[in-house]
Amino acid sequence: MGSRLLARSAAARLLSHLRRRTPDPTHRLLPHGASLASLLGPTGDIPAAADSALLRYPARWSSSSTAAFAEVPMTADGLTVESIAGKGWTILPEAESDWRSHAAAVAQSIKLIKKRLKWGWILERTKQLAVVLEKPDLWDDPVFAGRVSREHGELMGKIKSVNQFEQELIEHIDMLRLAREENDNELEMESMRALADMRRSAKEKELNALLSGDNDSCSCFIEVQAGAGGTESMDWAAMVMNMYRSWAQRWGYTITVVEEMPGEVAGIKRATIKVDGEYAFGYAKAEVGVHRLVRISPFDSGKRRHTSFAAVAVIPILGDASSRYQIKDSDLRIERFRSGGPGGQHANTTESAIRIVHIPTGISATCQNERSQHMNKASAMAVLQSRLDQLEIARQAQMNAEHTQSLNEISWGNQIRSYVLHPYRMVKDLRTNYEVSDPDSVLEGDLDDFILNYLSSSLDEAEVSV
Amino acid sequence: MATLSLSSRPLTFLRPNRTKPPLHRLLRHKPLASSSASALTPPTPRADPSPTPDPDPTPLFLRSASHPVPAAALASFRRRAAALVPPSAPHLHRHLRWLLVDAAADPSSDPALLRAPLDDLEAMWTRHVRERRPFQYVVGNEHWRDLVVAVREGVLIPRPETEAVVDMIRKVEGFADGWWADLGTGSGAIAVAVARELGHEGRVFAVDVSEVAVEVATLNVQRYGVQGKVEIRHGSWFEPLEDVKGKLMGVISNPPYIPTDDLPGLQPEVGWHEPKLALDGGKEGLEHLLHLCEGLSSVLKPGGFFVFETNGNKQSEFLVDLISTKWNSSFHNVEAVLDFAEIKRFVTGYRR
Repeated sequence: MGSRLLARSAAARLLSHLRRRTPDPTHRLLPHGASLASLLGPTGDIPAAADSALLRYPARWSSSSTAAFAEVPMTADGLTVESIAGKGWTILPEAESDWRSHAAAVAQSIKLIKKRLKWGWILERTKQLAVVLEKPDLWDDPVFAGRVSREHGELMGKIKSVNQFEQELIEHIDMLRLAREENDNELEMESMRALADMRRSAKEKELNALLSGDNDSCSCFIEVQAGAGGTESMDWAAMVMNMYRSWAQRWGYTITVVEEMPGEVAGIKRATIKVDGEYAFGYAKAEVGVHRLVRISPFDSGKRRHTSFAAVAVIPILGDASSRYQIKDSDLRIERFRSGGPGGQHANTTESAIRIVHIPTGISATCQNERSQHMNKASAMAVLQSRLDQLEIARQAQMNAEHTQSLNEISWGNQIRSYVLHPYRMVKDLRTNYEVSDPDSVLEGDLDDFILNYLSSSLDEAEVSV
Repeated sequence: MATLSLSSRPLTFLRPNRTKPPLHRLLRHKPLASSSASALTPPTPRADPSPTPDPDPTPLFLRSASHPVPAAALASFRRRAAALVPPSAPHLHRHLRWLLVDAAADPSSDPALLRAPLDDLEAMWTRHVRERRPFQYVVGNEHWRDLVVAVREGVLIPRPETEAVVDMIRKVEGFADGWWADLGTGSGAIAVAVARELGHEGRVFAVDVSEVAVEVATLNVQRYGVQGKVEIRHGSWFEPLEDVKGKLMGVISNPPYIPTDDLPGLQPEVGWHEPKLALDGGKEGLEHLLHLCEGLSSVLKPGGFFVFETNGNKQSEFLVDLISTKWNSSFHNVEAVLDFAEIKRFVTGYRR
């Protein structure tokens, strides 16, 4: 509470200070006002009207165009986020109380975030959408209008949050210098702490910006299939599945086995797990493709070196019902275990596996994990729905790289990562060239670096192609 | 109340009768490890058909997890238990996995807290593998629809075919606020599943002549908190329903329908262990079904619905034919409905 009060009074002082010093406050006060609310933190829920009344420029605020955000926030002596990032100030560890280092770190993060958000594209797109939104006949097609205004809203939200963040940085720098000027130790410390806090949250935002795809926040299914090569491959497939299970566990995701076809001797032929939790798809989609293992096979009595493959597919579980594929009951064929006998009271069986085939597409889903047919049917339907959704996503966005491949589409040539246990030890991602020399930790689920590297490199590629 | 008395039993009695299966029985069934271990092979005649009564009537999965067992001991039990099962019987490996899920509060903790002493678990597993005691009686439940239905010796284990009954009656107009009767409720599975979908006014009268069934159904009704919707009545078929005659929206029944002559040939899990009372349909298997058809018109209100499960094509066709000719003035839209194996498993129709 104390610090919040301090921040409020500090902001007020800053405001009056700026008024006093700046001959023409118009071009800067506006954005400063915008960030006032964010600066005040949780208590800063001052209605926009009050803000604008205070600043006496209400007309600018009611405008929905990007004009209000085009202003580049600037410190009293003309520093901008971009110029800070360009200054090459040394970035020291977080514990060091050096405002330049904090500011440079935050500015770097903002630069990355903008890059990942495809900033230039976003601004352009928002302008285009704003033009469409102004059309008087827009709402003649409510579905289209809804989509446009939703997209516009989302993009504006992104722009706003980045701008606010930039603004905040500039504010803190100004405040810190002001505090030094007036020998206000308390305020200086407060500002320094705020800068350090920003640095931490900038790191988080950086990560979140990696996951800005449409379905990234969804839960997902992860499917693993063994390649040719018998038991050795099936064992590898099981190792890969275990790797994802421990990875998901580290993230605190909930894991459910949906389907598992065990190998005859060891391992799995194929398995599907459901990974429930925020951004499960966003991360896991980085794993789609073929994973290759080289080792001395424990299943080979001759102790020879083997290479085996496992294919991984990741399917988002869409939350938004409107974008889902509509399944007709009449298109489904539901296959159950049948004892073949007279059934009913004659038979006692605990076999409850269900297979559902979507006849028009030939896509099917099996579930045997639950102990009742009813529940297996529900689970299999969920898998089928997601597979069909995935098909729908692919159909709707052919040119969009967002689409992940299904197991059927993954060609065995599409290797993404190599795990070598012999003659040397290494895991190397063939897409990013990121590698580590400790395969055990990777197989125990320590995948985040691989995933993050891939996600940032794929965004870089997208940037280049834009 | 019934729940309380049931669950307090293991604590008061401490199971003085806990014994391992007699040695002669173990020896006699040992050859089962060969191909005859499949659940679907014809039964070998058994000298002693009466099952050993379970000393503790509380279903295993509902007992308190109060028996600490070191993880190593549990692991070695798992190995011993798996060794009893031939690789050609994947269902038994599945059962072993589920047994551990149901018998332990958290099988991966060390020590694991079990709901029965390890010796008891071992004896239960042996009886399951060697004596073909149904797995559902071992763990005390059957996963049916989205329910975990408590079962024990003396009540029929709900069958997956019967799951469809609930979907059928849910489509009946006026379902949610109607009064329904489940005749021969057994474990109460149908009654509970229906009750969970009913509206404010809806009721289920669950009738059974067996006292064990009444006890188990009461437990299941309480476990799912549908006491307000399900009224359990002890008695035979329509007898306890005098006061609701002509007021029922529908009648559901899965009566005993296996012809008496077929009983000796049943799968051991069924023939040796499940109650004859719930299986034996008399000559042709139609005794109870005919009795139900006759009483139907007096309990259903006009427009009321009925669904009976039957032995299959022959019985269903016979009943459809009978009802739509003999009682044509009372019923309409009488038809046989297929189960998931394409067998005419159900007869349904409406009261005029």
